[in-house]
Amino acid sequence: MLKPEILQKFISILGPERVKTTKEDLLTYSYDAFIAESIPEAVLFPKTTQEAAEIMKLASASRVFVTPRGSGSGLSAAALAKEGGVLICFTMMNRILEINCANRYAVVEPGVVISELQKELDKVNLFYPPDPGSATVATMGGAVMMNAGGMRGVKYGVTRDYLLGMEIVLPSGAVMNTGGINAKDVTGYDLTRLICGSEGTLALATKIIVRLLPKPKTKRTLLAIYNHIDDAGNTVAKIIEAGIIPATLELMDKQIMKALEDFMHLGFPLDAEALLLMDVDGDVEVVEKQAALIANFCKAQGARDVRVSQSEKENEQLWVARRSAFGAVARLRPNCLVEDATVPVSRLTEAIKRVIAISEKNRVQIAVLAHAGDGNLHPLILFDQRNKEELVRVEKALDEIVDYALSVGGTLSGEHGIGIAKSKYLSRQLSPTALEMMRAVKKTFDPQGILNPGSFLESAA
Amino acid sequence: MITPELKEEVYNCIKCGLCLTPCPVYKQLWFEGASPRGKVQLIKKIIEGKLEASDRFHQLLFTCLLCETCTVNCPSGLKVDRLMKAMRAEVLEKFGLPWQKKMLFNLLTGDRLLPFFLFWGRALQTPFRALLPKEGKVGTIPYSKLPRLNKKSLRDQYPEVIKADKPKERVLYFTGCATNYLFENVGKAVIDVLNRLGVEVIIPKGQMCCGLPIFLAGARKMALKNIQKNIELFSQDDVDAILVDCATCGAALKKEYIHILEEMGESTEAAKKMGKKVMDVSQYLANFDLEKHLQPIAGRVTYHDPCHLLRSQGVKEEPRALLGKIPGLQFVEMAGADVCCGGGGTFQWEHPDVSTGITGNKVKAIKDTGANLVASGCPGCRLQIFGNLGEEPIEVVHPVELVAKALSQKSY
Repeated sequence: MLKPEILQKFISILGPERVKTTKEDLLTYSYDAFIAESIPEAVLFPKTTQEAAEIMKLASASRVFVTPRGSGSGLSAAALAKEGGVLICFTMMNRILEINCANRYAVVEPGVVISELQKELDKVNLFYPPDPGSATVATMGGAVMMNAGGMRGVKYGVTRDYLLGMEIVLPSGAVMNTGGINAKDVTGYDLTRLICGSEGTLALATKIIVRLLPKPKTKRTLLAIYNHIDDAGNTVAKIIEAGIIPATLELMDKQIMKALEDFMHLGFPLDAEALLLMDVDGDVEVVEKQAALIANFCKAQGARDVRVSQSEKENEQLWVARRSAFGAVARLRPNCLVEDATVPVSRLTEAIKRVIAISEKNRVQIAVLAHAGDGNLHPLILFDQRNKEELVRVEKALDEIVDYALSVGGTLSGEHGIGIAKSKYLSRQLSPTALEMMRAVKKTFDPQGILNPGSFLESAA
Repeated sequence: MITPELKEEVYNCIKCGLCLTPCPVYKQLWFEGASPRGKVQLIKKIIEGKLEASDRFHQLLFTCLLCETCTVNCPSGLKVDRLMKAMRAEVLEKFGLPWQKKMLFNLLTGDRLLPFFLFWGRALQTPFRALLPKEGKVGTIPYSKLPRLNKKSLRDQYPEVIKADKPKERVLYFTGCATNYLFENVGKAVIDVLNRLGVEVIIPKGQMCCGLPIFLAGARKMALKNIQKNIELFSQDDVDAILVDCATCGAALKKEYIHILEEMGESTEAAKKMGKKVMDVSQYLANFDLEKHLQPIAGRVTYHDPCHLLRSQGVKEEPRALLGKIPGLQFVEMAGADVCCGGGGTFQWEHPDVSTGITGNKVKAIKDTGANLVASGCPGCRLQIFGNLGEEPIEVVHPVELVAKALSQKSY
């Protein structure tokens, strides 16, 4: 229990407006986009590094658990106060501090929403590629801590690939910098990339420096419709094998098309089994050539229709649709778990078949979505949390998907993280030695274990 | 009463969070309780009996513009605004209405109190204004920018039937309180334009406030008389359309009446039948070949989408097209034209800080266009925008005022 005198000290650091303690406020911080709930004892909203540091000093002196959080769009409960204590929420610390065109980097505070940064960069012809489905909600801090991937992963990689440096606050309250503004930097251990993807268990990020690219000159969005989902999977493998790297390469099955059609009325054919949504970007000539090549691949693999979007507005709508896929499937069933096991891309078609078989065998509704280009499956497992018997079957289906992915050299999670959603599988992929090393790292940063307690390492089986 | 269908909807919130950043209120406050997702989750707890409708809940429930942005952006298809509206009605008994609202709503639902108030209001507004401190504000709007009462209410200035020679069409005109008591120019413009186009205009006597401000505050029972009276007066088979110049009244007549009656367990048949004929005046005018009548007027105009027109009624292109038809007038789209102005009826005096932040963005977007005219078909939006424009030499008008001007070259 949080002692009243400690709460009072938090209030003296932040003021009463930025310390939320009412039952109602706490309930609204008891969830993220996963299905678990855990109520914090207070929610703190720092606006400066100084405030964050003071919070941690106080927390470590009084052994108060602290869990960092952004917008709460995560899919693994990584940002819930799983063991109680306080949440430190960065949504109010949300300024873009610098956009440096000459050296192509940006410095942001952790609460900046990814798409807000992208919008600002667009104005000066710069480009921050990582583009998780939740980019319009998720914060940069959350993206760094979860090493968010997303739709452009196939060509541009993930958050880690753009991270140059950070200002961090350690659990002790000490402030330090990692990395810097330089494109190359081999000075010392790469703590920046160690913290990236640490799920908020090592330190708080209070400033984030990211590398930027020049904005691609042009972009085309292609839509290929398939009567058979296998053909869509095979197309992906063919495209990658041929050495073409589209900016995005997304696959959706008919259930997702139906949910999106209900929401946006885009004219998706409801009798088709799958569609591929693809972007090519770059110089005009290259884009034209690649778009034509990809269209041919699609047709050769049995696409019944290939469309090149005709306008920026249509592009935009298609991508809004893709971003809405997770939310839209709630039209089908109340709850959804997004699996994100990832397999080598050459296995994609087989993996999709396997998922469908698992779905049928366990009588669990699974809609298939995938960042297909990098083998990152997103089977959306649909159910009603209130039905306990169904939950058992859901668990079983999840186990089987994990079993399959690991059996072909895949990984538990491509981009959503372990959190508590997948911690029970962790030791299946990581050896005892690897887990021991990770726990040693954790101990070095956080000897008292006050930062994000109950996270993946502790709850790992 | 929250209907079982609405109750079940809370389980469709998958908590994806896509409603957070489009929410103008969340974008000012940056905490979850201010967001649609947060409110839906709290309502879910209340429905499940795990949370009481507490003061804090009540406060959060009213920290909302009801701009419906969340509803149109929700991929899961939750009718978030309807859920909030129903919840407001649900908690009314427990929390009651603040005295200012009670007074206002009594005025708007009574037929005797209002004339009395208006008489003294007209008589005293000039001396009363002189007594007000210069710097004072109602919510975010400085006293000096508050509108004056029409010398005579619009409906008293016209006969019930305004005939046209060989009328092409006959329409009923719902004037709404704002046009009737405050913005007579808009009403005159509507009537002149329709008249010029050979449309017979009938202004049914005895029409009442649409009731929307009342039932959105949760006071559904109080508004019921207004709703039923208006349905009775406007359910006429021999007219071509029911015209509204106010986005909010339009939303009420076209959509909200049906929802409310349904949720109150009343018959919705008449409301549905009437609703089909309700049109915003800009929608109605889109059917006419106006170009041949219009004279050029100089200026640069931008357009602000009222929530109740864009999201409640789905009217987006018609007002723009109308403005685009006026020769000489340059139309320029502002950034974020579809974002709520921050007024939200009584929201702006309940939450002046949040409101000022939202309206500040709107004013900036307007200034960035370099326009000298802002058009919007909602009196609330016009009041809010005008009230926050400061000393900018920008005129705030209803689109139909510009059409009337271009038709007659008369100044409105």
